[in-house]
Amino acid sequence: MMKIYIDGREMQVEKGMTVFKAAENAGIEIPHLCYHPAFPPEGTCRMCLVEIEGLPKLELACSTQVKEGMKVHTKSEKVVEARKGVLEFLLAEHPLDCPICDQAGDCKLQDYYEEYGLFDDNFSESKDRREKKIKLGKHLIHDNERCVLCRRCVRFLREIIGTGEMGVFERGANTEVNILEGMPVDNNYSGNLAQLCPVGAITDMDFRFQTRTWFLEKGEAICPLCSRGCNIFIEHHRGFSRFDLPKRVYRISARENAEINSYWICDIGRYGYHSLDENRAEKIVANNNKSIKNYKAALTFFTEKIKRLLYKKKTSRITLLLNTFLTNEELFLLKKIFQDDLGVKNIFFIDPPAGEADDILLTSDRTPNKKGAEELGFEITPFELGDLEDETEVLIIFGDYIGEIFSPSDIQAYFDRIKDTFLFAPHKSEIDSIAGIMFPTVMTPEKGGSLTNVDGKVQKFSPVLEAPEDGKAEWKILAELGTKLDVNFKYYKKFLSPEEIFRQMQKEIPFFEK
Amino acid sequence: MSLEFSDKTKKTIYKIIARYPQKEAALLPVLHVIQKEFGQISAEEEILAASLLGISQVKVREVVSFYTMFNRKAVGKYHIQVCSNLTCTLMGADNVLNFIEEKLGIKPGETTPDKKFTLSTVECLGACEKAPSMMINFDYYGYLDKEKINKILDNLE
Repeated sequence: MMKIYIDGREMQVEKGMTVFKAAENAGIEIPHLCYHPAFPPEGTCRMCLVEIEGLPKLELACSTQVKEGMKVHTKSEKVVEARKGVLEFLLAEHPLDCPICDQAGDCKLQDYYEEYGLFDDNFSESKDRREKKIKLGKHLIHDNERCVLCRRCVRFLREIIGTGEMGVFERGANTEVNILEGMPVDNNYSGNLAQLCPVGAITDMDFRFQTRTWFLEKGEAICPLCSRGCNIFIEHHRGFSRFDLPKRVYRISARENAEINSYWICDIGRYGYHSLDENRAEKIVANNNKSIKNYKAALTFFTEKIKRLLYKKKTSRITLLLNTFLTNEELFLLKKIFQDDLGVKNIFFIDPPAGEADDILLTSDRTPNKKGAEELGFEITPFELGDLEDETEVLIIFGDYIGEIFSPSDIQAYFDRIKDTFLFAPHKSEIDSIAGIMFPTVMTPEKGGSLTNVDGKVQKFSPVLEAPEDGKAEWKILAELGTKLDVNFKYYKKFLSPEEIFRQMQKEIPFFEK
Repeated sequence: MSLEFSDKTKKTIYKIIARYPQKEAALLPVLHVIQKEFGQISAEEEILAASLLGISQVKVREVVSFYTMFNRKAVGKYHIQVCSNLTCTLMGADNVLNFIEEKLGIKPGETTPDKKFTLSTVECLGACEKAPSMMINFDYYGYLDKEKINKILDNLE
């Protein structure tokens, strides 16, 4: 440890730390474009210049290490003048086309321009015109005019992903960041480049011209598309009072978590959000009983069917199809109600088939909570249509993935003889017509709960988006079902939030204690 | 069509690579050898250099496009580089360039149809004492005027 002073404040810092990091830890912000905590300092943008007493020139905060007794000034007149100068050169060829730039509102260069810009610059020459629409890859567009040559994109592809599709070509005023002709950025992490770009040079085709960043709210969530459990922001728009928007979610971005996903997420997670707004099931569908019009009636009907089998001691006629998109709390309730209270043995899982894992983030399980289900004591038996026992009277299906694995005609053929099929699904699908009652459910960002990732890390989350009209979180439906079944009324009655279910889980299952 | 080195060049290249602790470090000298052998460093030669040194083509392109002495398009038998920097310009580099353009009928960056001459401008040749100056292949010529240029160019076969 050593003592240094930043802007007159005395602080203790570790040996070998950079001035930038020391300032950051003390809450002192130093402007920067090329510096990113995931990479070693690059020192190309020159925005982080600071004054250090005893040194003749300004130094780069990002690459200068602290020294005992060092006195640093980050806001002195000399520093501010230098920043203005650096910015003037960064903007010498920058088009300042913020009004049509997706990054506007989220752009460091724009922020620094507000603070340090010379609003009448000294350059009288016209700016160079460069290519503004280079297709870098499937998801990305590169604007060479806006680029400030921070090289974050180049470093990310080389140091983190190892594919190295991008390079810095030419030199001097002609320097540009680009790909080789015919060799696009083609990896499952390309979307990170748009998020990593500190300016609007690399933009996301999925987000391009869709909305302005200042309308977006960032909700903290967990990516449900593989078992890594990457931390994400769901950037959504609440709409305007005068008109509705076609969708709520506009983009997904990576949220820092050093233990799980660092600063990155894969493209599957980044672009897999469209199902949150497309084809959502909003109303109860009751096919064989037209008198059921609302959730309450549907749940009563559902409960009665199960109760009847319970009283007849024929709960073996119930088959349960689950999935590992369900949260720990939901799987726990399912286990308590169906396995412990009712003694149901026919429990199967319907999950998307395993995909290819990479050594970076993506795992082979394409659901978020397989580990959680295992820790809760479920045996994950994948469902085949032939598994359906002849005597099955009540079939309960969670999730709509069944329609993607089996053809509707096959499902129809097998399910036809079953008296009562209950479907709990977030999307409309062809299976709705086969089910007796379809309960609209919510998707992971619309509910609270916890997921256990592939390494056994339990992550809690709260709802970010509102549920669709009749849509209910599965844990809520299950807690109500447990109460109504009247086997163990008091036990289920207290479950008014996922938090309470989690506390109960901690009492019963040692894995969740920590 | 993949590029092949002559056996002699192959030996030279292995010798060069052996000089460095890391293969990648041999990039510049290897590129010079490649340029000498094939007359240019286009995408094909970049791929060759990349595979020789176990690096990506992107990294080779970064180097090739940074240094002006690598020709990404084939040049003529004589590569005329006219200095366009300050001292030479003060001493009449513009006239020199205009005269050569007229004489050969090509602009900077172009090659004569008979592939004999390629003309380009270059920043400081480091020969200010002889301004205005130019370089033809690896030979320097200074104190240029029309007469002298005529004599030099006419004597080249």
